[in-house]
Amino acid sequence: MEVGRLPISASQRGKLIAAGYTTFSSLSSVSPSDLARDLKVSDNEAHEILKVASHSSGLERSEGSHLIVNGAQTAWDMLHEDWFTHITTSCAVLDNILGGGISCKEVTEIGGVPGIGKTQLGIQLAVNVQIPVDYGGLGGKAIYIDTEGSFMVERALQIAEACVEDMLETNGLPRKDFQACQNEMQAKDFLGNIFYFRICSYTEQIALINYLDKFISEHKDVKVIIVDSVTFHFRQDFEDLALRTRVLSGMALKLMKLAKKFALAVVLLNQVTTKYVEGSFQLALALGDSWSHACTNRVILYWNGNERYAYIDKSPSLRSASATYSVTGKGIRDSNSNCKRIKMM
Amino acid sequence: MTPENLLHGPLTTQKCTFGCPIIDRCLGGGIPINSITELVAESGCGKTQLCLQLLLSAQLPVSHGGLAASSLYIHSEFPFPFRRLQQLSHVRSSLFASNSKDNPCDNIFVLGVHSADQLFDLLSKTDSLFTNPPTGMPVKLIVIDSIAALFRSEFDNTPCDLKKRSSLFFKISGKLKSLAKRFGLAVVVTNQVVDLVGSDGGNGLRVGNLGSMCSSGRRVSPALGISWSNCVNSRLFLSRNEEIVGEETGLVDKSGGDFIARQTRRQIQVVFAPHLPKSSCEFMITRDGVFGVDR
Repeated sequence: MEVGRLPISASQRGKLIAAGYTTFSSLSSVSPSDLARDLKVSDNEAHEILKVASHSSGLERSEGSHLIVNGAQTAWDMLHEDWFTHITTSCAVLDNILGGGISCKEVTEIGGVPGIGKTQLGIQLAVNVQIPVDYGGLGGKAIYIDTEGSFMVERALQIAEACVEDMLETNGLPRKDFQACQNEMQAKDFLGNIFYFRICSYTEQIALINYLDKFISEHKDVKVIIVDSVTFHFRQDFEDLALRTRVLSGMALKLMKLAKKFALAVVLLNQVTTKYVEGSFQLALALGDSWSHACTNRVILYWNGNERYAYIDKSPSLRSASATYSVTGKGIRDSNSNCKRIKMM
Repeated sequence: MTPENLLHGPLTTQKCTFGCPIIDRCLGGGIPINSITELVAESGCGKTQLCLQLLLSAQLPVSHGGLAASSLYIHSEFPFPFRRLQQLSHVRSSLFASNSKDNPCDNIFVLGVHSADQLFDLLSKTDSLFTNPPTGMPVKLIVIDSIAALFRSEFDNTPCDLKKRSSLFFKISGKLKSLAKRFGLAVVVTNQVVDLVGSDGGNGLRVGNLGSMCSSGRRVSPALGISWSNCVNSRLFLSRNEEIVGEETGLVDKSGGDFIARQTRRQIQVVFAPHLPKSSCEFMITRDGVFGVDR
């Protein structure tokens, strides 16, 4: 029988068979605490047995899934996977309303008027994803897809230097002169870890997104894909609007698959347009209504007086809230104003 | 498809100097290449003056902040200010360190256009100008003066026409950015302003660093709307305002006007730019050109 092939101790095997667990599939749908109770072992031991079982059965099947439908997972399994990790935005209140930062495995759309800080946020995330695990980051790399030409190397270097400084400060290390040239070297390393693609047409954009699966399979440490902006090349003349919708949905699907498959964050920066609704012009994110279903989370950046605000417009798990942030020489940071309180909607 | 390695290129984007160190300092060194910079101003504020100056400073060697390049000047407002360009080039010829007797005007290619479609057609056919430049210097600067004039007469204020106009913005901007990327060009576009009408400060949507843009004592907003704002990488606002510098004496002259001394103050401000903070600089326009003023 199948459990006979598991690399576990004889006594454990005996307990499994006695309790009635003889096949892999019977082990796949039981929780560790139930198994512990049935076998009269500790929770940890039960967990170990289950891990071994799923690993072995994974080797035998193609997809590693041992449920009835290939590739499916129980919600319980999903809960037991690594918790969603987050990429910090360097602004504490913004991280707060985002549940810790931009979440991996999800597609987040960020839209706003020109000059509000979309590109700045994009560059900040491309730098912050590289913060080493020791400092609380992901230690990953970034893919930056630039469709507008807004990415300026000197600004990315400036933000990377400030990030390195902040990292060293929180570590409590005193800053000396030699530290300064170490900073410079490290900031340049940050630039080297950003895979930068410049796209000049919508066909290039589609081709690149199709290519990303292969690229990321070869560069497994990529943890964020930033598209700045996803809209630009699609706002030209598309004689067939239905074609545009199909192309955009296809692109959105691919990006969602990438996010799930490689457990990375996808950040799509979008522009703002005026929609003619009921006789008046209103502001809305570009690309139309069908596109608004493409992303998991949507954040809108806007001005309120002299302050920049971010508002969670759509999210399955986050509460609607807005937070204020500022764009400084160091990148995205908390705002200095007194009204830093998070406004819940 | 391979990604660009950011460490292989220069760590600062190349810029074309304005020809004045004070303005350069305010604006991060000048106009960056591979990017569209928009100059927005009311008429008479100095947009064209600044553009003419750029046409000349682009020819400076790279060590002096120039691009060592010729320029293409596309104008939609007629006539082309040829005499002023000549005047400026005479004044600035002393700055040119080159020993050649080239007339700087030889390195400026001028084209007039009358409509947006004509501009788009033109841009689609300019490849040969960049691959085989007529003079020794490659073309690295495109100036379009002004983009607003091309659009303001052809489109009605209906949603349908505005949509058409908007898609033309993106087509033109996409073409300019693609040329800028392929040939390493700096692109400068000038735009006009429209007045904001309204009691509490109007229906203006805030775009960028300035809560309100004022020129000649009126609240203004860049023409062509928010769609066009999405098409440019950086926006600089030139304004002119009268300031009272003298003291109130209460005296009145024969025609009823007062004796208070007034001065025109001109300012250039960064509305938005990916590499610049909110900065501004005062400038003045003299016979010799546009110069920043340190206060």
